[in-house]
Amino acid sequence: MIILYIFAYLSVLVFLILVISKIIKYARMPVHVRWELYPVAHERGKSKYGGSYFEDPDWWKNKTKKNHLAELWVMFEEIFFLKGVYRHNKKLWYLSFPFHLGLYLVIGTTFLIIISAVMEINSLINFSDINTEAGILLFYLINITGYAGLALIFLGSIGLIIKRASDEKYKFYNTSVDYINLIFILLLVISVFLTLIFSNSTFLLSKEFIKNLITFNFTEIANTLFIIHVVLISLFLLYFPLTRMMHLFAKYFTYHNVRWEDEPNIKGGKLEKRIREALNFGVSWSAPHMKTGKTWAEVATSLPPEIKK
Amino acid sequence: MKTKKINSIKDFTKENEQLTSLNPDEFIKLPYPYEDWVDQPIRELSDDQKNRLEHSLDGFSAVAIPKPKTDSEKEVLVAKFLSGLHKLLSKENNWILLQPLLLSMENCMKCQTCSDECPIYISSGREEIYRPIFRGEILRRIVNKYLKPGGKFFSKIAGADIDLNWDTVARLAELSYRCTLCRRCAQACPIGVDNGLITREIRKLMSQELGLAADELHASGSMKQLKTGSSTGTNPTAMLDIVEFIEEDLKDLYGMDIKMPLDKKGADILLIHNFGEFLSWPENIMAFAIIFEKAGLNWTMSSEMGGYDSVNYGLWYDDAQLARVALEHIRVAKKLGVKKIVMGECGHAHKALMPIADRILVDENIIPRESAFPILEEIVFSGKIKFDPSKNNFPVTLHDPCNTVRAMGIVEPQRRILRYLCPQFREMEPHGVDNYCCGGGSGFAIMQGKNFPDWRNEVSFRMKFKQILEAFRDQIEPSVKKYVCTPCSNCKGTFRDGLTYFNAFEKCGIIYGGLVELIVNAMVDLKKPFIEWELK
Repeated sequence: MIILYIFAYLSVLVFLILVISKIIKYARMPVHVRWELYPVAHERGKSKYGGSYFEDPDWWKNKTKKNHLAELWVMFEEIFFLKGVYRHNKKLWYLSFPFHLGLYLVIGTTFLIIISAVMEINSLINFSDINTEAGILLFYLINITGYAGLALIFLGSIGLIIKRASDEKYKFYNTSVDYINLIFILLLVISVFLTLIFSNSTFLLSKEFIKNLITFNFTEIANTLFIIHVVLISLFLLYFPLTRMMHLFAKYFTYHNVRWEDEPNIKGGKLEKRIREALNFGVSWSAPHMKTGKTWAEVATSLPPEIKK
Repeated sequence: MKTKKINSIKDFTKENEQLTSLNPDEFIKLPYPYEDWVDQPIRELSDDQKNRLEHSLDGFSAVAIPKPKTDSEKEVLVAKFLSGLHKLLSKENNWILLQPLLLSMENCMKCQTCSDECPIYISSGREEIYRPIFRGEILRRIVNKYLKPGGKFFSKIAGADIDLNWDTVARLAELSYRCTLCRRCAQACPIGVDNGLITREIRKLMSQELGLAADELHASGSMKQLKTGSSTGTNPTAMLDIVEFIEEDLKDLYGMDIKMPLDKKGADILLIHNFGEFLSWPENIMAFAIIFEKAGLNWTMSSEMGGYDSVNYGLWYDDAQLARVALEHIRVAKKLGVKKIVMGECGHAHKALMPIADRILVDENIIPRESAFPILEEIVFSGKIKFDPSKNNFPVTLHDPCNTVRAMGIVEPQRRILRYLCPQFREMEPHGVDNYCCGGGSGFAIMQGKNFPDWRNEVSFRMKFKQILEAFRDQIEPSVKKYVCTPCSNCKGTFRDGLTYFNAFEKCGIIYGGLVELIVNAMVDLKKPFIEWELK
């Protein structure tokens, strides 16, 4: 039985390492040229119509503060309501929205179960004892979000699989990985449902298992369905960071570091320092007009050999 | 008409065959009075061109890629492509756009949310190879198979196998010139994946490693600009002559004795135009001069090489060329000691020198750069010039150049001017940051080789033309003269060819022109109309 626990620890550990390293990889990339797209959410008073500070005469003399609240709101709408999909691809939204909402609810449920496990370890509440107010609240929250989330993922993933398999515009580009991602998630949901139906209908097994993980108490688990569920979820944690599902984290960078990244380069500023570093990177492009120097600064400041002035 | 269509992604690697062909019957339909419009047959390449040039994508040749003569030549080119791909994904060789590129390459869910946003894909009758994700998917599969450890094995079991051969490389190079880089697809992507960027980066790989680029952009574009001072080939002496002609025209036509300020040291403003304006639309140069002089601005233009043509084609295909031209602009501004550089009505020049070049400048090269639009707005509403908006009492709509609007957020200044000076101003739908590209973006406006203009006029311009017709539908008859305000040189070039192709002046009375022309046309002081009702 200890193997199951070790596998669960390992999968969580590998998941965290891979996710964090991917985030660090994106975060540590060198400065790039501006490639924003409007509307830029933080443009105070202008983001509604897509305006920018370039609309102001002598824009470099004004110091307008960024509206970070507006950024949060746009991200909220985009993440929780998939506003972009709703606006541009409504047919898909009817499947994708419940699927994603289900995922968020299940992730939320997982955190609630972890909280209840931690509180129980600290004798703050007894999740099994629904006589305490906190216990009742957590109990109902976990069950409502858990069941709703699972049902939404179940329906959404089946819908998305059918859509991928039947709609020509998806079929043309499908690879087995596109199906595997969805089928994996569907299997996970089915395994939870089966455990809930045949064992305990209130997520108690999950809470007990997490409690055991936290306290290093490797108690025997007798329920085969639940063991299968733990194995599946551990495998999924190992698989997830290797897939495009990492867009969950990448989206932060595509918005904040690209679409909304409109920081002007000010003389003596931090940005200028980073640009200076990048200009000294080596260049090895081999077209004739690129071979005019060893660094970007040298290449940019020298003319191609075919130009004789 | 018999057409060929691609059946699967693997077809992209088939050797020697033409992958697909376009059928004008499938292009989107246009509204009244073009419901029964029959497009001209698309010109086929001549036999000689077919023998010499790669055309196996869709029968068009934008890049004029010479056919390799031997298999070993092909192998060398494929190997070069792979080495370029390595460089494209490396920090040193591609810090300039590495982060946005990797984010786009690694996170596309193929949800197709972008598809219907692409005017080329829609206008063509949903031609599969023009779908926004198509190019990215090809490149992604090549990267996954040939650059990643175990790629050949995993690609096979994932069902994403793709063979890399010369035909694949040549088609990919051509395909990167079937997208105007308008980035409407990127704007719609819920994740933020940018297929326009991937396209631009494919062009870069082809140019910086294989030396393949559209002639109009590279040899006859940025190279000519670096050599002569302008992508039009106009050298400083000829530039001075042209300025003199324009001054004479100002006097002869409008009785205005304006001496264009040239090379004035210490001026507040260095105004840089796309030099195409001097040659094709000199009225734009005149209008700027009239407005700036009447407003009493301390401004100048440059007659020095590097200072009189704001064009920067590197923006569309090559980082080194982009940087070289931008640094020339900066050098001239520094030499003159101006307070700021002001961009005339040219969208890509705005983007190249303002936000993009911002990240290649250090130390004294960081000179303020500003769009002409807010300056014009300030002048129009300052009261320094008297206007009579009734002089512009004809239907006017506004085309939003992608580079100044979607890519830079300059949306309202030009609109506030038009709402004030043009009583019959009406918006196109969609407009502002949601606009459709003119169809000539990313260099297409100037690419006149082989049969490519047919593709531009019939496919990539089509959605914009539909928008224009719909904006004027209440007064579409040719007796009512209508004006498409087009504050961008390249967009104007596209409109010139596209409106001519559709015979739009005769059929609907539609012309195009810049913003400053409308401003001057409304000036009380001007004795005769500034706008001439003809399609130039």
